[in-house]
Amino acid sequence: MFESASRGEVADTVPAEKGRSELYELDPSDIVLKTKSLTLGFGGSTVLDGVSLEFPRGSITSLIGPSGSGKTTFLRSLNRMNDGIRGYRRQGEVLLDSASIWDSAVNLLQLRRRVGMLFQRANPFPMSIRENVLVGVKAHGLAKRNDFDEITETLLKEVGLWKAVSDRLNGSPFSLSGGQQQLLCLARALAVRPEVLLLDEPTSALDPFSIELVENLIAKLAPKVTFVVVTHNLAQARRLSHATAFFFQGRLAEYGPTNKIFTAPSQLDTQRYVSGSIG
Amino acid sequence: MSELPNNPSSPQSQSDADRLNFETLSKLVEVQGIKSNTTRGFKARIAWSLSYLTLLLVITPAVLIVGHVVLQALPHFQFSVLTSNTTGLGGGLKNEIAGTLVIVLGVLVIAGGLGILSGIYLSNYAKNKFGNFLRSSSEVLAGIPSIVFGYVGYIALVVHFHWGFSLGAGLITLSLMVVPYVSKTTEVALRQVPSGYSEGGEALGLSEGYILRRITLKSALPGVVTGIIVAVAIATGETAPLLYTAGYSQNLPKLAVTHSPLGYLTYAVWTFYNQPSKAAVQLSYDAAFLLIVGVVLLIVISRIVVSASQKHSENR
Ligand SMILES: Nc1ncnc2c1ncn2[C@@H]1O[C@H](COP(=O)(O)OP(=O)(O)O)[C@@H](O)[C@H]1O
Ligand SMILES: [Mg+2]
Repeated sequence: MFESASRGEVADTVPAEKGRSELYELDPSDIVLKTKSLTLGFGGSTVLDGVSLEFPRGSITSLIGPSGSGKTTFLRSLNRMNDGIRGYRRQGEVLLDSASIWDSAVNLLQLRRRVGMLFQRANPFPMSIRENVLVGVKAHGLAKRNDFDEITETLLKEVGLWKAVSDRLNGSPFSLSGGQQQLLCLARALAVRPEVLLLDEPTSALDPFSIELVENLIAKLAPKVTFVVVTHNLAQARRLSHATAFFFQGRLAEYGPTNKIFTAPSQLDTQRYVSGSIG
Repeated sequence: MSELPNNPSSPQSQSDADRLNFETLSKLVEVQGIKSNTTRGFKARIAWSLSYLTLLLVITPAVLIVGHVVLQALPHFQFSVLTSNTTGLGGGLKNEIAGTLVIVLGVLVIAGGLGILSGIYLSNYAKNKFGNFLRSSSEVLAGIPSIVFGYVGYIALVVHFHWGFSLGAGLITLSLMVVPYVSKTTEVALRQVPSGYSEGGEALGLSEGYILRRITLKSALPGVVTGIIVAVAIATGETAPLLYTAGYSQNLPKLAVTHSPLGYLTYAVWTFYNQPSKAAVQLSYDAAFLLIVGVVLLIVISRIVVSASQKHSENR
């Protein structure tokens, strides 16, 4: 508690550009993922209208906005998780490395390997901890059997779980705490070497200590992986992300460097949302 | 609560009237509490007694039947029953045991396979009118009396297709009869699998088949197995549909689809019980006893399989 509170204070006084996510340079012309006038809806109703956003390689982007503003719908469209949902409608484009994700030549399974997702509620599979880490590697044929042990260890070390679980790799993932389960899901997602990870309120069900673990991890992984993070935790958006997109009333209301969105937004709605007067 | 006079932090100079009020009040509450507690306890006891009574009503006949069969069969049980075929109204039950095993295996494969596949279809894909149509058809199928299945099997397969009394006719008839149990339980069990499993699988780029085989079906296995057990138990316990379709034979079952009548344990139970000879009645009890042992074995084996598969389940 104390730890996260003190960091909150720091974030209030120090501009976000000097935060940990600015330890490396981004190339603003190297765009890994991009939406072009993306309009999304279900049945007769439109959820989001004409969203154009760019995600530079290695960046962390926060999506903020009130409940029901379409953040989840937007996020799930980025790796076509909505495609199977009844009544789902879309117009416009999502480009991954300049190619449409809806092109008929795209292999859906391959797309999702490249653009992974982490959910609000940790959802480990009902198989051993080790199998959870390896399931994607096996399904995509990314490694040989001989390397499985090493891969398991590397990934669990990467997410900081190794010490806690090294003696029960064949045990059930449901014996882990909520935070540890989410870290395991992160390891599982990282195992297939994604280029982009979509995170839908990944820490909203976690305690402050676990939140910090997950945040540190995202910051550490970011140069290699591009993150798009939906969050209701404004302080988190502020300390974690390079850029922030504010969704409001069915539109992308404002988008820009996180520091600007939080200190000098150009829209009144944004100002009111980040200062806590609406939400 | 903080304003109540017995609060240590409240001023001691409470008026007597207040204190009196409070004491009366608390006494009242106490009395009320005791009273409502006793009525509640009384009602709870009645409810519990009724539950136990109904449980007893269900268990007693089961225990009596099983006990009676075991007591009649076991003292005179001879192992030659397992090793010799029936001859006339005596001999052993080897041909019936083999026949029942073949029928169980066949039903397991046909009804189990069809039931699991249709359960998968109903839970994952048939969310429309067609799905509802299939669902109600399946329920109608489950409600048809077994004798009707037997008669339809007889008319269609035995007579019309000239299959004669045969393993094929018996298996198809029995399998159609029990397939709704497997498909229903599979569908329900699959629906209860947390949606996070398949979503997580999709997000990882796993194929639909992979998710089904490695994650969702595995997690639904206890339900699926329950359905299969019920189906197989019904199939082994039926006589009427088999009489019309599989006929009867005192030879070991011939593994052919057509013109292959065979014996089965329920035939022995049903036919020999009404014979005047003591040996025949004894065979009838032996057959019933063997059926009970078989069903118990089936349940035990399935429990072991299920619990081995659920080592990493969320609800353990
Ligand atoms: N499967 C669906 N079918 C119909 N409407 C949906 C569906 N999912 C979301 N919506 C609607 O889309 C809107 C945006 O929802 P969502 O993207 O979940 O918002 P957020 O994540 O910002 O809270 C809501 O009004 C919601 O009711
Ligand atoms: Mg949401």
